Amino acid sequence: MTLYILRTLVKMVVTLFVIVTLVFFATRLSGSPLDTFLGEGLTPEDREAMIRYFGLEGSIWQQYVSYLRGLLEGNFGLSFLERRPVAQIVAERIGPSLQLLGSSLVLTICVAVPLGVIAALNRSSWVGSAVMALAFVGYAVPNFVIATFMVLLFAFTLNWLPVVGNGTALHFIMPTIAMSGVLIAALTRFTRNAMLDVLGQDFMRTARAKGLPETVVILKHGLRNAGVTVLSVLGLQIAGMAAAGNVVVEAIFSWPGIGELLVKAAIVRDYPVLQFGVITVSCAVVVINAVTDILYAVADPRIRMAKG
Amino acid sequence: MKTFLMTTAAALMASTTFAQSITVGAANVSDYLDPGRDHSNVGSQFYYNAFDTLIDRDHSKLEPEWVPALATEWAMVDDTTMEFKLREGVTFHNGEAMTADDVVFSLNRMYQASFAPYQVRAKDRLANFAEAVKIDDYTVQIKVHRAEPLWETLVSLQQVMIIPEEYTKALSGDPLVAEDGDYEAFSLAPVGTGPYAISEFTPGQKVVYTRFDDFWGDLAPLEQATVIRIPETASRITALKTGEADIVTNIAPDQLALINADANLKTEGSATALFHVMIMNVNHPNLTDPKIRQAMSYAIDRDLLNEALWLGKAVVPSTHTMEEMGALHMPELTTFEYDPEMARKLLAESAYDGEEIVFDAFPVYYTNGVLAAQAIIEMWAEVGINGKLNVTDKWTGNDPEMMARSWSNPMYFADPFGSFGVMWAPDGPSEGAGRFNTDDAYAEAWERFRFSKDVDARRAAYGELMERIKQDPPVLPLYRPFESWGMNKSINWKPQSGHIPYVLDFRAGAIALADS
Repeated sequence: MTLYILRTLVKMVVTLFVIVTLVFFATRLSGSPLDTFLGEGLTPEDREAMIRYFGLEGSIWQQYVSYLRGLLEGNFGLSFLERRPVAQIVAERIGPSLQLLGSSLVLTICVAVPLGVIAALNRSSWVGSAVMALAFVGYAVPNFVIATFMVLLFAFTLNWLPVVGNGTALHFIMPTIAMSGVLIAALTRFTRNAMLDVLGQDFMRTARAKGLPETVVILKHGLRNAGVTVLSVLGLQIAGMAAAGNVVVEAIFSWPGIGELLVKAAIVRDYPVLQFGVITVSCAVVVINAVTDILYAVADPRIRMAKG
Repeated sequence: MKTFLMTTAAALMASTTFAQSITVGAANVSDYLDPGRDHSNVGSQFYYNAFDTLIDRDHSKLEPEWVPALATEWAMVDDTTMEFKLREGVTFHNGEAMTADDVVFSLNRMYQASFAPYQVRAKDRLANFAEAVKIDDYTVQIKVHRAEPLWETLVSLQQVMIIPEEYTKALSGDPLVAEDGDYEAFSLAPVGTGPYAISEFTPGQKVVYTRFDDFWGDLAPLEQATVIRIPETASRITALKTGEADIVTNIAPDQLALINADANLKTEGSATALFHVMIMNVNHPNLTDPKIRQAMSYAIDRDLLNEALWLGKAVVPSTHTMEEMGALHMPELTTFEYDPEMARKLLAESAYDGEEIVFDAFPVYYTNGVLAAQAIIEMWAEVGINGKLNVTDKWTGNDPEMMARSWSNPMYFADPFGSFGVMWAPDGPSEGAGRFNTDDAYAEAWERFRFSKDVDARRAAYGELMERIKQDPPVLPLYRPFESWGMNKSINWKPQSGHIPYVLDFRAGAIALADS
């Protein structure tokens, strides 16, 4: 088990190094901040002065080495635009994004798991078909459509819910639903399939034969076993959403999160923000994956045996 | 549930409508606040509430009418020196008293700039200013290199607003020395002398102004004004409807009806003192023949663009001029016009034989920018120019391969020098970028335009420059875009003609709340 965890950690570090390198070169290949509107109307001498000001003089290799050195020293650089440490900027923004991710996760689990179980138990009746049809639609409708529709109905027309920022609990309702739509749809399907697998297993028949009440059979023996699969799927889904899924939702609801920050940083080629932001999000994804792997191994002895 | 939501929502809104407080939903909020290094359209929204210049103008008037601000009197000492008597009893937001030291520090940080972002701004508009010198605690002299016809204009620029010396120097490193780090720190914790202190600033997200009770002039009419970023237009309009914002910025013309249809809301707007322009690279091998560039200009029906994209609310200029420029406003010049027949004729006479002419446009930076570019490609096709649109977020204005692209020429201050002048000076940004050439004759006319004492001599010289632009065009101003703000009917605010574009002026006399 220790060996397994060690391997996972080494894999994590290598992955992060590759990401840091890719991000460093990808941002620079996409153009300099002075090629965006920041460079508008500057004379060649002005450009030279600004290049020195941003610390972009020297070859790309020299910059790469000094960037890596900075990373090891815990110095992630200053934003070109705001001229303050990017760690501080990202720290400000990651909180609201995580809050939204958290509320979406809670909503997703509360809705998707029961729906998936219901769909599995009623797989041959219209109830099961209806749930799956709903999940299919939910999967197909992009989150910005759900968001725009809710804004139009609950804010613009009915004036029930606020649309700007993350000030109060009410502010969470629409963005959370918008973020959760696709997740709920996906997780409902996975829960259903996992339950169907489990329902046909021998130990379920044994549990029933012991005379346990049906609820206990379903929840304790069924759902707990299906949960292993659901857990790993959920890990991947969250990781994906943390990386990209919330940019549009954050823009629509003026949510002060990291997605919006990264889009702006990409537009003006604010390398330090872009690099640190992507690295932070990647870290989150890699860590979530590693934790899921480890939990999965803990939950299922076969995996840690197989992987050594 | 509905009652609960309504009550909570009402409680939320109460904080914004009572107690003379407002919330502004802005499309963009600055990433830093330093009036010296900033000349962006986003930034210009924020400075006037919190900072003062030595001389101000009556912003309700189109014609410049200079009024005392941090200086109470000013007079020429000799041809190149002006002396200013400073207002006594002025306090910065941090409690420090303003003296000549602060004024000299603020001005010389621009006039003798060592910080790269200041150098860039100083060179394009303050190059003639040599230094500020302290005479006594409340007297300052400013010295220029050559006799200056635009004294008041250039002393009332946003870039020379006054900031506190001791406070700024102490922000980083050695508290007695002005370092780059001090200016960077200042732009995150700005302090001025204006009627509102900036009590909270989250870069890119939020600016909170709080009434400054020790202000030297008329007290601010609002206790608090909060500007928050709402990047999506639809969300800004919704926020206005839900009451989360009292004023929203940057509303496109096609959205005005939506706001005006609501009995509680209204819109205010004006043709912004800024030109959206098309620039042409005079040094691109395919465009060196001026006739081709003239044809590219003559082919464009700017009135049609105005009708189609701006509902006729934009202003199409006959030359590079704006009515804000007072005596130097010269609408009688016809430098740019629509004449497709002339375009065809010039093309026939030129060396043009159907090569592709690429037009670069930013995807979202300029309202209607891509639509205008698409229409221009069609208009070119009408006269036989083979145009191609290239939508890119890259600034290609200093790329030798660039042929034509969209850009803007804002009015940084109310004089042709503050618009055409900043962009098209000899050795200025356009020539420096390699897409515009000047010669001795141009430079000589430029000198007369820039430094003549006599207004008629300046006008004549500007006319000569415009004729040069007409004969060998590097630029075509398309229009002054129409910019609108949406707001609650209880708010009495509108953009004032004496300001540079986009200023959110909440000073006494500029804003009033109906229910206060």
